[in-house]
Amino acid sequence: MLNFLKKSEYVLGLNARNLSYLRPSNSRRALRIADNKLLAKRILSKAGLPVLETYGVISSYDDLKNFDWNNLPPTFVLKPNRGLGGEGIVIVYGRREKEPRPWVKANRKMVSIEDLRDHIRNILEGIYSLTGLPDAAFFEERVKLLKLLKPYSFRGIPDIRIIVYNSVPIIAEMRLPTEESGGKANLHLGGIGVGIDMGTGITTCSIQRDRLIEYVPGKRVPLRGIQIPDWQEVLRMAVYAQQATRIGFLGIDIAIDRDKGPVILELNVRPGLAIQIANQSPLKDRLQRIKGLKIKTISKGVKIAQDLFGGEIEEELEGISGRRVIGINEPIEILDANRNRHLTMAKIDTGAYRSTVCKNLAEKLGLDKVIGRKKVKGALGAEERPIINLSFVMDKRLVSTETFIADRSEMKYDIIVGRKDLKRFLVDPAKNVFMKKPKIL
Amino acid sequence: MFFPIQYLINHGIPQETISLLLMIPIIATIIALSRQVIGIKGFGIYTPLIISFAFLSTGLKFGLMLFLAILLVGTLSRLVVKKLRLLYLPRMAIIVIIVTLTVIGAMYLGIYANRTEVITTSIFAILIMITLIEKFIAAQIEQGARGAIILTSETLILSIISFWVVNWSWLQDVVVQYPVWIIIFSLLTNLLLGRWTGLRLFEYYRFREVIKNVELPKKK
Repeated sequence: MLNFLKKSEYVLGLNARNLSYLRPSNSRRALRIADNKLLAKRILSKAGLPVLETYGVISSYDDLKNFDWNNLPPTFVLKPNRGLGGEGIVIVYGRREKEPRPWVKANRKMVSIEDLRDHIRNILEGIYSLTGLPDAAFFEERVKLLKLLKPYSFRGIPDIRIIVYNSVPIIAEMRLPTEESGGKANLHLGGIGVGIDMGTGITTCSIQRDRLIEYVPGKRVPLRGIQIPDWQEVLRMAVYAQQATRIGFLGIDIAIDRDKGPVILELNVRPGLAIQIANQSPLKDRLQRIKGLKIKTISKGVKIAQDLFGGEIEEELEGISGRRVIGINEPIEILDANRNRHLTMAKIDTGAYRSTVCKNLAEKLGLDKVIGRKKVKGALGAEERPIINLSFVMDKRLVSTETFIADRSEMKYDIIVGRKDLKRFLVDPAKNVFMKKPKIL
Repeated sequence: MFFPIQYLINHGIPQETISLLLMIPIIATIIALSRQVIGIKGFGIYTPLIISFAFLSTGLKFGLMLFLAILLVGTLSRLVVKKLRLLYLPRMAIIVIIVTLTVIGAMYLGIYANRTEVITTSIFAILIMITLIEKFIAAQIEQGARGAIILTSETLILSIISFWVVNWSWLQDVVVQYPVWIIIFSLLTNLLLGRWTGLRLFEYYRFREVIKNVELPKKK
């Protein structure tokens, strides 16, 4: 019980969210931007971020009277500018050629110009707005669903919610529209929240109505292990959006369009807290680790997020397989003649059988005692190479082996590690791609 | 008794009025506490407070019946009026009109069935319930059925608790005897509540799986 209370201090509740994070970091200005979709879009696109195209804005009855309906494309989304929780949104998928040329909604129902006018009048009256004050309506480009995500979503478009604080993406989840939520990606309406591993962009746990689930409701489609495309780009966009809007604590909703790639849908200054359940990970702890850090560049913010908050997938894999997951470039420590550790970067090469270490390095470390020779066939013809004993520590595991020595002074890496020494590892080519130098040197 | 209060009573203001007024800080504090510490949301302070005062004049059982009947009629008429596709305020006005007519109809029924509550009920209680229907219908439009049901039942629970507190004769005496302490106590409690960043009681339940998964740093 005492343990439970102590652990609960790591979880972010509504009180702490409002008092410790929203208030100090989000000004009145921030609320104005995030609650006004058109303004948010203007600021984001000015900063060069991809947003959805606006086909037209109607902010008064005059606008409505003079609106040219024939300029609208056959497919679009009609939204209230200050709408809340996905209310008041109309999505049309196409237009009939036959007079009176109605549009078609997701449920195959027809929508006439008169219906749309009615709906816009309601929006102008402020029915869907946060405060009940008069509002504007606008027409927006419809996001085209990515083929990859089709089996997971019911009618609507899934989006990725990322909470960014102090230029670091803190936590992420994919929100899937379901039948229960009426094709909307809102969790409180019954949409699915899918946790995402920050490091790799692969999905982990999933929830619907705060309960853990494994499959898409009614189907045997597992929700675990979906790779979000362009993950690095999505994270960068989220950080950039936070910097451009200067909102300290911000939820950013990003959709991935089939043609355009990631686009920012919406900003949210009061992001929901169920994202903690979807990720099975507490938020307060993450926020406290980031508080007060000076983040200079976007890449730095993304890297910190991936290093600090990523790795769930990897841990799981390592747990199942009993092997360590390593990248293509991996820092390793070579043990010299006196068993002292010498740090360098290694290239992991699954195309080679035996590892090769640079002759100069081997001499420097006093490891150049040749124990044998072997012929190798390479692209440059056959060659006989000397073999030495070598021990190194890679990802906390000690490997004792026999390696070739060769002149690698012209090469980028002092050592390449081949298949023979990789039997206790799994190689993930997406890992450590951006790592240039070992951290400790 | 505290002198300024004694003065008011000596000059003809009923003690009941004063005790009701002094109940407001207590009820407001209870409502704030239930949101910040327990996690019961409800519709702010006004709605549960005014409903509990309405219950005071109708009695809890009859008041609840009246409230639920009005809510039911309001919801049903909303579903019917929805089909007419009207603007928001006229639509709401029609719902209020239907509810009012139903209440008048209920009075005929009450007289016919010889129920005395219908005749003795204060008009203010009925007025409060009818006008509050706007809030509940608005919640249905904004939050959908599920959200509205949760919010409405939370509001009702708060109203019933408030009713019990206001109706507590011991407390009615205490607030008149020690008004200063009641005010100071309420103010201090709210100052503390306003700085409270802990989890709400319901959140411990909501996030129980996350909490279980937390790995505490190992002690050295």
